Amino acid sequence: MTGDPGAFATYYPTLLRYVAVAVGLGILMYGLYRLLRLAGVKHEPATGFTLVVPWIVGFLIFVTFPIGLSLYLSFTEYNILWDRPKPLADPLFNYKRALSIRIVELPEGERPIQVLGTMEGETPETVRYREIGRFNWRGKEYVIGATDGYFLKGVWLTLRYAVLSVPLGMAGALGVALLLNQNVKGVGFWRTLYYLPAVLPAAAVALLWYWLFAPSSGLVNWLLSPIYRLLDMQPLGWFTDKSLVLPSFIIMGLWGIFGANTVILLAGLKNIPKDLYEAAAIDGAGTFTKFRHITIPMLSPALFYNLVTNTIAALTIFTQQAFIPTDRQDGWFVNWFIYNEAFNFGRMGYASALGWMLALLVILLTLLIFRSSAAWVFYEGARQEAGGA
Amino acid sequence: MTTETRSLRAAEAVYEHPLARRERILRTAHRVIIYILLLIGAAIILVPFLWMVSTSLKTERQLFRYPPEWIPDPIAFNNYIDAWTSLGSIAPGLTFWRIIGNTLFITVLAMFAEMFSAAVVAYGFARFRWKGRDIVFFIMLSTMMIPPTLTRVPSFLIWRELGLLNTYDPLTVPAWFAWGPAYIFLLRQFFLTIPREMEDAAVVDGANTMQIFFYVMLPLVKPAFLAIGVLSFQGNWNNFEAPLIYLNTTQMYPLVLAIRFFQQSLSKEAPKWHYMMAMATMMAAPILLLFFMAQRYFIEGLTVGAVKG
Repeated sequence: MTGDPGAFATYYPTLLRYVAVAVGLGILMYGLYRLLRLAGVKHEPATGFTLVVPWIVGFLIFVTFPIGLSLYLSFTEYNILWDRPKPLADPLFNYKRALSIRIVELPEGERPIQVLGTMEGETPETVRYREIGRFNWRGKEYVIGATDGYFLKGVWLTLRYAVLSVPLGMAGALGVALLLNQNVKGVGFWRTLYYLPAVLPAAAVALLWYWLFAPSSGLVNWLLSPIYRLLDMQPLGWFTDKSLVLPSFIIMGLWGIFGANTVILLAGLKNIPKDLYEAAAIDGAGTFTKFRHITIPMLSPALFYNLVTNTIAALTIFTQQAFIPTDRQDGWFVNWFIYNEAFNFGRMGYASALGWMLALLVILLTLLIFRSSAAWVFYEGARQEAGGA
Repeated sequence: MTTETRSLRAAEAVYEHPLARRERILRTAHRVIIYILLLIGAAIILVPFLWMVSTSLKTERQLFRYPPEWIPDPIAFNNYIDAWTSLGSIAPGLTFWRIIGNTLFITVLAMFAEMFSAAVVAYGFARFRWKGRDIVFFIMLSTMMIPPTLTRVPSFLIWRELGLLNTYDPLTVPAWFAWGPAYIFLLRQFFLTIPREMEDAAVVDGANTMQIFFYVMLPLVKPAFLAIGVLSFQGNWNNFEAPLIYLNTTQMYPLVLAIRFFQQSLSKEAPKWHYMMAMATMMAAPILLLFFMAQRYFIEGLTVGAVKG
């Protein structure tokens, strides 16, 4: 911990640089505009491009350059205390270390660590395979070892979280939005109510649910106590029980995100022209047919938007895990795990490689959703054109 | 109206065709079920929320009382002060005003730059034709897919090279470079809806681009501008990841980090839930207040991307 120079001394240097950057950016834009005009570019394109320049500069400094740097770092060993990264003899070592798995037979009386051995190839240090599971096959005991079981468990936890929580959240939100769309009295009131958890800070939500799920004095276990008595079972441990960590996170996540989805879907529902339903009714369509052939297609852009944003958010869940300590042995959400690799254990090179793998996972899944969208997302083209330039 | 017709009417009202009656009952049942479902949902939303506020007003002894009390007796308003006293005894100088000051400093600076730069960039994307515009716009939208995990380590190294770790710079200054693609997108959608004549008229009056932007365009997209303001305030106030990485002097912490520092310095046996919930309520309060005051803008900001896009 470094010393505290006092409030004013911490604010004003930043304030100075904040103003300086704004002024600098303004001068840059003005200069660029003049330059473009001198080069014979017309007023309209020169102005348009100049106005977008802040984003372009930011994109180069804070996105492109870091991404490139991160790719380079992922091929190196770089402790946070070092000045420079050290190139690795095997550039792919970080990636191999994250993903290597080995399955070997476990003879009677041997310890897994002995049979699993170490990672082959040129490694900067001895990397051991450690047990992440075992199974029995044809009477023989096998042990599964990984060079970084924590990472793999984290990925597995995160994927299960995304796959379970995103569809549940969307289905629930669709249900509530449909209810609210039934000419309910005081829609505004209900909408506000359902949206409430979504505006709460993630940190506050995490603390709140940590307390609600407290095993001995939490509200949830108290509310469930009649059921426990009825079934003659022990109160559930929620975040402290490793088989319930995932469901607990899902429940908390649903409570938090649910309302935002509902508001978006409700706005989508209100946008569907009433005459479509009337026309369908004349044609003798029932409630389900109308839902299947009007509501769902007309709502598909909003559903699509929710699907994309929720999936990205679920895969990169971070704050909640920071406030709810669970056992690393059972897997941490991968984004939090990577943060710890970099800033607690100081392995910047390794963390960069892990970051790349998470990014690829996110981009792959997002592109998959985009590819599939052609089949199920319906855009009302004509209206779009009218709205566009 | 004669008595006869009136009684006829009454008879009509009492007598109902069996089918119509059945339909009426079904419809009422339908309504009742809708409201019951909505109320169940409301309970699920509100109970945890009320529990947070209720816990924040309990004394330590009341926390573990069984069955739990909803309205604590006595009501311990003091928690909201004692939590800070307790925090200050762990880290000297970590006072309420200091932490709130830090949080507001970060939030206001980042929000102002974010709103302003997003509006300028969105204007450039929406109202001017230039070569490569659509490609640049597409690239900008695709940056939304890049998880912050990827740029975290290199950004940290860049700020370290600049010697600006443990300052507020990484949390505020880059906001000038329009770092929120969603905000740009939202504003662009709004700029697109404004008729060209508005600008043409201003040009005829001899206004330059900056004047048109400030005096004509910005007032016209005010709802969207305020919407991103509200979202940006919320985002920066709640931001946890960036301060966690860049700040390490406890006295410079924003609220969210102070709360985490507090949580971590308490032992697992005595988590002081009443203090934690008081802190959580304090962190949520300004956002909730803002939400109730500017609800329209929240909803606008949230829905425009999904529905208009």
